[in-house]
Amino acid sequence: MLELVNFYLLPGLVLGAIYAMSATGLSLVYGVMRFAHFAHGDLMAFGAYAALAAVDALGISPWAAIPIAAAATVPVALAADALFYARLRRSLPAVLLISSFGTGLMIRAGLYFVFGPTQTGYGMGFTPPLVLGALRIQVRHLWIIAGAAVAALALHLLLTRSRAGRAMRAMADDPDLARITGVDVAQVIRLTWAVAAVLVAIAGVFLGIDTQLTPGMGFNVLLASFAAAILGGIGRPWGGALGGLLLGMAEELSSFPLIGGAPLLEPAYKTGVAFAVLVLTLILRPQGLFRGM
Amino acid sequence: MALLEVRGVVGGYGEADILHGVDLDADAGEIVVIVGANGAGKSTLMKAVAGLVRIRAGSIAFAGEAIANAPAETMILRGLAYVPQERNVFPSLTVEENLAMGAYARPAQAAAGMARVFALFPDLVQRRRVAAGQLSGGQRQMVAIGRALMLEPRLIMLDEPTAGLSPKFCALIFERVQAIAREGVAVLMVEQNARPALAIADRGVVLAMGRNRATAPGPALLADPEIGRLFLGG
Repeated sequence: MLELVNFYLLPGLVLGAIYAMSATGLSLVYGVMRFAHFAHGDLMAFGAYAALAAVDALGISPWAAIPIAAAATVPVALAADALFYARLRRSLPAVLLISSFGTGLMIRAGLYFVFGPTQTGYGMGFTPPLVLGALRIQVRHLWIIAGAAVAALALHLLLTRSRAGRAMRAMADDPDLARITGVDVAQVIRLTWAVAAVLVAIAGVFLGIDTQLTPGMGFNVLLASFAAAILGGIGRPWGGALGGLLLGMAEELSSFPLIGGAPLLEPAYKTGVAFAVLVLTLILRPQGLFRGM
Repeated sequence: MALLEVRGVVGGYGEADILHGVDLDADAGEIVVIVGANGAGKSTLMKAVAGLVRIRAGSIAFAGEAIANAPAETMILRGLAYVPQERNVFPSLTVEENLAMGAYARPAQAAAGMARVFALFPDLVQRRRVAAGQLSGGQRQMVAIGRALMLEPRLIMLDEPTAGLSPKFCALIFERVQAIAREGVAVLMVEQNARPALAIADRGVVLAMGRNRATAPGPALLADPEIGRLFLGG
């Protein structure tokens, strides 16, 4: 039982928190702009590497580099929108989607060029896990879960308590009606990009802290992020967050040795769980698990 | 000079013109009702005034200022509010949040606006925290009209405000429309329920095939046998 918690549930929660932050941003962008943003994973990698640059240059811890990573990723998202997406906003959804694919490739190529293709890390060294009775938890995992919770709370307050957040939800409901009521659509779109970029950059640093950095790290979790967003009902940020948590847990628990000594699913196939969930959701419940969030 | 002056407006969606030179006036405190067959251009005319349909020729002046083809999001600050026929509330936002969106351009006026709207539509008070998507059609229409009134517009445009509503709600909406006009607001309304709407109209405008067919006080149009036969279903 404790093995389940220590080695499967907690890591699942950590992975889920990272998926959740990425999926929330995807869902926001989709809700406000009706746009499946395929460069989202590469923005995540960009945030992770921006933190790495700060760690190397300033000798700070990656936790302290999070604000720098977020601040560096926001202009990239805004520039991609101004240079590419804004011009294509009135074209077919497929055109916009492919343009984001191209944007993602550009960001990834930039990371390969500057940082090289090899795996790297923030060089945090080894910290012994916290032992709470029989529970063993990595300190970094605790911070990641807490950080994601704080980010979710901040986003919730933004969306429900602020004028700008209400305008974002109004745009997601009905962009034409939002215009009639006097909403500056371009401004709301910029704010949406900024929020999504901050969330995904933090997710990138968390992923880098939890595992390793490679230029392809974000693209590797992009499909899981989409699966989480769709599982929660795409366009609904809270659904995306819950979808992310569920998916992260499902991936980790899929290799739990429930029957006999062998894992349910070989760990190598873990990422396949996201695809299975994506396909099953689209077939069985395309509107997502949580309607009306 | 009238508050709203539309002269010779030509326009429509894409290549196809729906309006072929339409005139329209609306004065402060006046109820103007546009009637006509389906496809006559009633809603298109309203959308052209609201900045949602581009016009190719003609002019639209509001309070003496040319507003033709001005961006739709600037209209509310000019004092011109528009309530579309369908999709006229934000379904996932609460009643209160919908009304707050009506004051988006001037948040300082939100509290006063909300008090006014709740006085006009007391039914909404106890549903203020309910998502607009869960309201009945009549209540939704109240939210939509209330949202448009938040910044005290000088002109409010209502596209078929009683479509699909029960007779009780229709009567209520028409009664509130008269109350709004008594405050000095110009009301421009497109209505399928032509007879009850014309009965309260200071000015009735009959459109046919994107052109003006007749303009007269509402009761006079109702009394005209030819208009009755051609446009009001006998």
